[in-house]
Formats: sequence, C-alpha cells, structure tokens
Amino acid sequence: MLEIKNLHVEVGGQKILKGLNLNIGAGEVHAIMGPNGAGKSTLSYAICGKDGYEITEGSVTFKGKNFLELEANERAGEGVFLGFQYPVEIPGVSNMNFLKAAINSVRKYRGEDEMAAIDFLKLIRAKAAELEMDPEMLKRAVNVGFSGGEKKRNEMVQMAMLDPIFAVLDETDSGLDIDALRIVADGINRMRGPDKAILVITHYQRLLDYVVPDFVHVLANGKIVESGDKSLAIRLEKEGYAGLGIDENAA
Amino acid sequence: MTAKNHLDGLKFKTQFDASVESLPGADLDWFSELRRTAMSEFVQTGLPGPKVEAWKYTNLNSLCSGKYDLLASAGGTTGGISPFEDFHGSKVVFTDGFYDKANSIIVNQDGVMLISLNDYLHSDPDAAQKLFSENVERDSLRELNTALMTGGYVLLVDENTKLAEPIQIIHNSTASSSDKALRTKCFIEVRKNSSAQIVEIFAGANEQNYWRHHVTEAIVAEEAELEIYQIQQEGDQAIHTADTLVGVSNRANFKHYSLNIGGKISRTEIKPTLSGLEANAELRGAFLGRNGNSHDVFTHMKHMMPEGTSDQIYRGVLDKGGKSAFQGKVYVAKDAQLTNADQSNKNLILDRNAEANSKPELLIYADDVKCTHGATVGELDAEALFYLKSRGLDQNAARSLLVEAFVAEVFEDISIELVRAKYLELARAWLDEDT
Repeated sequence: MLEIKNLHVEVGGQKILKGLNLNIGAGEVHAIMGPNGAGKSTLSYAICGKDGYEITEGSVTFKGKNFLELEANERAGEGVFLGFQYPVEIPGVSNMNFLKAAINSVRKYRGEDEMAAIDFLKLIRAKAAELEMDPEMLKRAVNVGFSGGEKKRNEMVQMAMLDPIFAVLDETDSGLDIDALRIVADGINRMRGPDKAILVITHYQRLLDYVVPDFVHVLANGKIVESGDKSLAIRLEKEGYAGLGIDENAA
Repeated sequence: MTAKNHLDGLKFKTQFDASVESLPGADLDWFSELRRTAMSEFVQTGLPGPKVEAWKYTNLNSLCSGKYDLLASAGGTTGGISPFEDFHGSKVVFTDGFYDKANSIIVNQDGVMLISLNDYLHSDPDAAQKLFSENVERDSLRELNTALMTGGYVLLVDENTKLAEPIQIIHNSTASSSDKALRTKCFIEVRKNSSAQIVEIFAGANEQNYWRHHVTEAIVAEEAELEIYQIQQEGDQAIHTADTLVGVSNRANFKHYSLNIGGKISRTEIKPTLSGLEANAELRGAFLGRNGNSHDVFTHMKHMMPEGTSDQIYRGVLDKGGKSAFQGKVYVAKDAQLTNADQSNKNLILDRNAEANSKPELLIYADDVKCTHGATVGELDAEALFYLKSRGLDQNAARSLLVEAFVAEVFEDISIELVRAKYLELARAWLDEDT
C-alpha cells in the first residue's frame, strides 16, 4: 500500500531523514519507535505533505501513485489520515462545521456528492458515541480548551468520520492517562481491517500493549536501524535504546 | 489651529454661501443661524490634516482636491443593497442624503416617535432647537455636517417602552451622487428603562466618488438599552465618515457593532461617554480591506463615573492593497473608580502588500480600576492551515474557514439572528470575491 524508498528529508536546511526505507502492506499495523530527535515526526509530515519538509531524494508511493506530487489535502483525498501529536486549536470553527467541511472536501476530491445533512448528523452522533465523546464537544471550537486527552479523542473521532485507508498516528499516545490511552487504542483498533493499514509512531511501548503491531521498526539518526515483530518493542522497553547501541541523547 | 495641521475648508464655505437659502430648514431663522455659526466654526479649523494625531492614518486630502458639491435633491432611483425584508418594523431610507419618504415605512408604536429631521424641525421647533443646543465636544467635521446636512431623523423612545422591532436605516446613493457630498444627521434618545435596536446600512454604487458624511448623537437614559448595528458597504470610490457620539447613564447599556467592507476611505468614530454609575458600553467591529480600501476605526471610551464597564473587540483582515487603522482610546476619570475596561484589536494580514495599524491609548486617572488592552498584527497560522489541509480542505477552503472564524468571533453574541447572519454572509462574500 505504502512504499517509501531511500527517503531523504531536510527541514530548514538540516538533514533529518537520511535514506529511510519502509513498506506497509494492506491489513498491516506497523509501529515506529525511536529516541527523541530521530526523525519520527518528520517522517509523518513527509508522508502527509507538510510545507517546509523538503524531499531531497527518494520516493513515497501510495497505492501506486507518486505521493510527493500531491498537496496535503489531495493526500487526504486519497485516503491518508494524520493523527497529530499536538492537535491544533482553531478558535471560531466548531468541531461540527470542521468535520462537515473535511468530509465534503474529501468527497469532492473523489468526485462524490456532498453528504446529506441528516446522514452527516447520524454518522457523527454514532461515532462520537462509539468513542465516548460528549456530544456537546461537537459544538465547541476545534480543540479550544480541550484537555490533552480530549484532543486525542477528538483526533480519533475525526479519523472514524473520515474513514481513511491508511492512518499515520504521530505519538497519539503521548501525555495520556490510562483511560485516554484505552480510548485512543480502541479508536485505532476499530480502524483495523484487511484493506486498511496503520503506522503508529511512538516513543514508548505502552500503547503497543493495546494496539498489537505486526511489525516494529526502530528509527534512529534518520534511518530504520532495526525491524522485527512486537518482541522488539518489549526488548526496547527492557533494555532501552542503549541496548541497541543507540545513544538516546546524541540522536 | 495652524495651517500645517489642517486642510483648507474654504471651498465648503463658498458652497455654503451659495446655497444656504435653499438648504432644508432655511425657512427657520434660528436654524439658518445655527448653520451659519457651525460653518464659521468649521472654517476656523478646516478639515483635520495628516499631522493631527487622531487622523494620522486617514488622509482627507482627496476631500480638498475632489469636488464634493451639494446636491439640490435626491437624484434618480436606488438599488443595489439588500435590506432586511424579514423585519416588520420601520424602515427609514435616505437617498443621496435626503429623506426618501416614498421608500420609507414608519410603523407607529405607542411611546415611540420616529420622524425625519426636516419634519421635526417644523413640527416641534422648540424641541429641535434644544436638541441642536446640546453641549457636545467641538469637532470641525461635525460642524461642517451641521452647516450642510440635507437630511436626518429623530428617534425618541419614551420611558418603559421597548421598541417592538429593530428600525432599519438605509443610506443609499444614486448615479447622481458622483462628486457630491451626502450629509445626514440623527438624534436618538432612549429614555428610562426602555430599549431600541437600530440597523443602519450604508451602500452605494461603484465608480461614484461621493462623500457620505453621517453624524449620530444619542442619549441612553437610566437602565435603558441602545444597540446600533452598522454595515458599511459603500461603493469602491466613496469616502465614508460616520461619527457616533453617545451618552450612557446609570446602569444603561450601549452596544455598537460595525462591519466595514466598502469605500475607498472609511472612517468610523464611536465615542461613548459613560456618565452614569455602572454604565456599560460594548463595541464590536470588523473591517475587511483590499484593492485600495482604507478603513480607520477610531473609538474614544470615556469613563466618568464609578463601576462602569466597557469592552471593545475589533478584528481587521487586510488583503492585497488594503489598509487599516484601529485607534482605541480609553479615558478613565479620577472619579471613575472600579471601572472595568477591556479592549482587543487583532489584525490578519493575508498579503505582503497590505497594512494594518493598531494604536491603543489608555488615559487612567482613577487608582482602583481594571483596564486591559491587546493589539496584534499577524498572518494566518501555518499550523492551523496544515491541520485543515491534512483533513482534506484545499488551500482556499482552509484559508476561508480560518479567516471567517477570525471575523465571526466578533459577531458571535449578536442577539438578532438575522443581523448576525447578514454580517457573516457579507464577510463570507467578501472572502469569496476574487482579488
């Protein structure tokens, strides 16, 4: 589904990713772990097309399409979702209007008609209930005054509404208490399916207790340095990155 | 007065001398005399020039170089504006600065008097004379308005009376308005424990270089409420100067909302004097400018008595070729203890070739008060743009949504849903216009 070959990315003239390779197939859940500064967030932004992330070498292909030629919104239209580490607050735009604009933008990209208002309301109520979100929060401005956990839950509601083919979740677990973590994990697990794929980026192993990955990769100094199954995550938790010969502070 | 600081106003004196006998109310000696006095006051100072601090962002030179003649009467038919068809209250129309009786509707209500200024001058000259003799701060543009205005209205709301429906005031202009000055004046008095809402629309055709010059004087008595909603969508060559002076009494409320989207030069002055205990004033506004629009909003909030509250929120959006200034003055007199005064002005710059100026000014002479102010000029938040794009919105849709939200915050708590919707509709239409 997603093929990343020899990816080099610079941000503000600084080389962050230095030849990263990654293949993610349909039905698979991959986890990328790594110390701070390894380039985890850069990878997620490069996949999703954020301005300022310059691809100097390599390729990103999604379902056979050259992703690097597409704008961020077009990548969303192709079925990619980015769960933000720090969801952005947008004063004055209600969650409800935001989601309506998002859903209809994606439908427009795919040449589909706008969703009928009544269908939209039914869908959003159902998804909010599944993820235990207070319906009142749908009327509030996007993420404004939300706690850390509420913001991440909001990301999961957005993901459920947009129903992506492939989701990149950038440290969606950071700063969450155990209840919020359970809800986020639940949101991710709901998305799993034979036609879907997920890339979970995390600093810690604890999310992987709830979302069991098929593959685990360690990212350090701009490259994947080791890949394995879920046991790799457990080993990392026990031995730390030093166990793999990675100096966490120097990364 | 120095020649350097002011622009010559003699041209208007010549106009005045030639037409004073034919101006509305010329048959009333006291009124003609009042006009003469006002004109001689005006000539002494002239128009405020760019060296006058309060006018540093708005250059009235074009008022001197352009003609801005008097119109003898309203010309032709009107069109091009969208009033509130769903209101069932009174509608007062001014065409080219003259009361347009044929297009106006006055709905009678007990305790409410709404009358054209010319009619009032003749039906109750004593009261009219009293209105004009109210001691207000001298201001050369207001003197000029008194000397040369051609129309206006008077609204009196008696004690314990709630205006049943908002009043619409529509200031229109026709093809005859080019090179002309359109001057109107209104008086509003809302008496004890009463309330009134006024929606005032200024509109005109593009390519007509008229000068709209409107002055409002209002009194909000004890425990009364006055809300004024202004929409300025003048033609693209128009100069628009609107000046609102209001006195707010004990526990009275004054609210002023404005949206400036038209005109070549617009100047909106709002000057509330909180002369009563626990008086309250709320000012909200947005100005959207591009392609040669210059908007200047000037507020002067005067707290004279204890325990008053005031709150000002203004938002500017400046696109290519747009310019704006917000000058917000807050004065707290020595006696106005326990005043609570807030002011916020945020500006969004959408293009490098755009300009926003913000100048808060606080003069506080009381020692136990809470006053806040904040002013920002910035660009759209790149993180928010990417967040929206990552959810599928294209660049334009993401930008529109963010700008609309930025403006909408100002109009959030408007109590008349139709008016709130109209403000948003106009702001949205402005955003969707091609640049």
